[in-house]
Amino acid sequence: MLEVAGLEVRYGAIRAVREVSLRVEAGELVALLGANGAGKSSTLMCIAGALRASAGSIRLAGEDVTSTSPEGMVRRGVATVPEARNVFPDLTVAENLRLGAYIRRHDRSAVAEQRDKMLALFPRLAERSSQPAGTLSGGEQQMLVIARAMMSQPSILLLDEPSLGLAPTIVDQIFEMIQALRSSGLTILLVEQNAAKALAVADRAYVMRLGRIARKGSAGEIRAATDLHSLYLGG
Amino acid sequence: MRFTIQFVVDVLSLGGAYALMALGLVIVFGILRLVNFAYGELIMVAGYTMFLVSGSGLPWLVMAAVAVVMAIFAGIATDYVAFRPVRAKSVTAVLITSFAFSTLLQNAALLFISPRPRVVPLPEIFSETVQIGGVITPLRNIITIITAVVLLALFAFLMRRTVLGIAMRAAATNFTMARMLGVPANLIISSAFAISGLLAGIVGLLWIGRIGTVVPGIGLEPLLVAFIATVIGGMRSLTGAVLGGFVLAFIDTGLNYSLPQELLKFRDAFTFSLVIMILLVRPEGLMRGPASGQRT
Amino acid sequence: MNRNLATAAILSGLIIALVIVVEALGVRVYDRISIQLCISLVLVLGLQVFMGNSGILSFAHIGFMGVGAYTSALLTIPAQMKGMALPDLYPFLQDVAVSPYVGIIAGGLVAAVVAAVVSYPLMRLSDAAAVITSFGLLVVLYTVTTNWSEITNGPRTLFGIPPATNLPLAAAVAVAAVIVALAFRESRVGVLLRASRDDEVAAASLGAHVPALRWLAFVLAALLAGIGGGLWGHFITSFSPKAFYLKETFVILGMLVIGGPSTVTGAVVGTFLVTIAFESLRAIEARLNEAGLFSDQVVGLTEIVLALAMIAVLVLRPGGLFPTREIGTLIKQRRVKPKDPP
Repeated sequence: MLEVAGLEVRYGAIRAVREVSLRVEAGELVALLGANGAGKSSTLMCIAGALRASAGSIRLAGEDVTSTSPEGMVRRGVATVPEARNVFPDLTVAENLRLGAYIRRHDRSAVAEQRDKMLALFPRLAERSSQPAGTLSGGEQQMLVIARAMMSQPSILLLDEPSLGLAPTIVDQIFEMIQALRSSGLTILLVEQNAAKALAVADRAYVMRLGRIARKGSAGEIRAATDLHSLYLGG
Repeated sequence: MRFTIQFVVDVLSLGGAYALMALGLVIVFGILRLVNFAYGELIMVAGYTMFLVSGSGLPWLVMAAVAVVMAIFAGIATDYVAFRPVRAKSVTAVLITSFAFSTLLQNAALLFISPRPRVVPLPEIFSETVQIGGVITPLRNIITIITAVVLLALFAFLMRRTVLGIAMRAAATNFTMARMLGVPANLIISSAFAISGLLAGIVGLLWIGRIGTVVPGIGLEPLLVAFIATVIGGMRSLTGAVLGGFVLAFIDTGLNYSLPQELLKFRDAFTFSLVIMILLVRPEGLMRGPASGQRT
Repeated sequence: MNRNLATAAILSGLIIALVIVVEALGVRVYDRISIQLCISLVLVLGLQVFMGNSGILSFAHIGFMGVGAYTSALLTIPAQMKGMALPDLYPFLQDVAVSPYVGIIAGGLVAAVVAAVVSYPLMRLSDAAAVITSFGLLVVLYTVTTNWSEITNGPRTLFGIPPATNLPLAAAVAVAAVIVALAFRESRVGVLLRASRDDEVAAASLGAHVPALRWLAFVLAALLAGIGGGLWGHFITSFSPKAFYLKETFVILGMLVIGGPSTVTGAVVGTFLVTIAFESLRAIEARLNEAGLFSDQVVGLTEIVLALAMIAVLVLRPGGLFPTREIGTLIKQRRVKPKDPP
């Protein structure tokens, strides 16, 4: 469904992502692992349309989307949750969700239905529906941004480091929800530093190091690989 | 009692006008973080449109509508000419391009129409007077107050209730994130400029209605008002801009009433000094704008 | 340090060369244009001192030029002329008459003092707020000069200022301005200020108190503007408040923007280019009016062209012709062959 070939992303003269090729089939949850600075987020942001690719191609269901804008990717069914939990702090939870459904805004009933589904999946959000998003805790904000991305009813979800900065129990809850989304048939590309958690929910994984793909395989294969530590810590 | 009513009417009508001027400026600044120096020229465009269509024999409201539409076009044109080409480059670049565009428009009016004042048609009700509690005041002041209240209410409704408004508020906080939800960036920006033009057009007609003529430099005073009101109110807050407009009107009217005759011509210097003192105490303005970060 | 000396030498050399050529040619018109150019240099360099180092646009600059011009005028107009030129002048100023050179320096100092007093609150504002407030300051300075008839003759022309500015004087002050601007740029204050432009928090951790630094730059800029104003007053010998307002602001801004606000080289080159272009356009405008091609006078053509040029430069080369490196640095770098990247 999603095919990335030979991707390169530059920040000025620095190549943060080099010759990255990966594949995500429909219904899969693929994890993109690696240490800080390995280029995972840059790869994801490039696929999402927020960063420009200096080389390589991105294909979605056969269509070339390498230079598609972020808005365009959303219209094609790719929703992104960047790291850093970008809720709009002054907008309420409800307004955040409503904005997530922007591309579907004309179909009021479908939007309302999706919103109810999301609030059922994330009950804590339902409680805080008219509160400004900036007053939510970190875990609640993470739930909000995932729910908000789901409001556009995407076929693929790009998730960037959902566990970052959250307490372990909250992380468990988040991953339970990711599992629930996966079970509903959603295709997910998950960038994570927390390899254990990611591999527990993933079908396949890629490990990145210094901008390149260093290892790929099924989740089981990657979990068993002993040089995961060295890949993370250098050497 | 009469004095109070007079004062209140003056402050409210001037404040309403100032608030609208400030709002038209902030709506672009809030989203783009860019100052539109050509904002005053939107009022100039409205004025000259009225002058140019004055011979057409159309009813005044129709001519006014045409003038406001032209102001909207001019607003959107400002985006395409002065902002889009340099938006990504730097903040200073946009300041200068919009300043250059402002000079361009003024000189175009100078060159193609005239440097001398041109008469603008006004509806008769503008010159009528009305009596409130023993005070006689031009009906135009009351119209200004009502227009300001209506427009501000409409604006608040737009921002709070409609998807476009929510999208604009989101874009003001985090433009990229809004795009990643599918919000089309260009539409948001054009809408901001269009609303800016709408507000400028309407308040421009009311403003020109006080003098009845238009000159190329007519946008300067409203621009300055918008600037100062915005700075007082807090640069990116919409409510702040409105509040700043009323505070400025209060200061101006207060000075008008209290300065001795020979100092009255220096009123603007006094206003500015008072504004500087406000800024000394509160450099960030009266109201905080939308937050720019998150909690964790 | 070598490259800074190189820059100072090259830029001063440019100015001195101009003087030599013009004196040799002996054409009166060129003399006038060159004096204007040197005065513009002083003003643009002053603007560069603040804008280039702090990254904040200041619209008030020309206002301080006016302060300098009027101060010098007040101090130097001969007593008998004052009776006619400034009929309502305060008695204590009536008999003051000093040499123009003293007047020019006094003009600079008064401008600096006014700037020092008025501007400190503005230095704590956010960038955009500071810019638009500076615009307000320009308008206020204009309002005050237009209305304070006792010392400015109000909106009317003030005449009787003794002529004293010739090309050697203007050029000497311009060269001095180049050196001052370069020295400031490379001084501790200048370097810290430029650092704060890029990252305020990091600079603060180095001990930079940003508002104070900006204030210093602003006061120095006003000093230069005031001196430029004094020079100009003694060149043109009569002026009105309208000479220190939007049009002139636009022109010096254009000179700095096209040349490059971050460098002294940019300020100098921009001034040269725009002056030459301006005078040529003026000549064309005059010819068009003489030829009577259009029914009305062609006014404002020059400003329109300048506006378009500014927009073009900002689109194509946003930092100006000399965006970051002074000419001394560029020449030194040419001499050293760059190693191939790994």
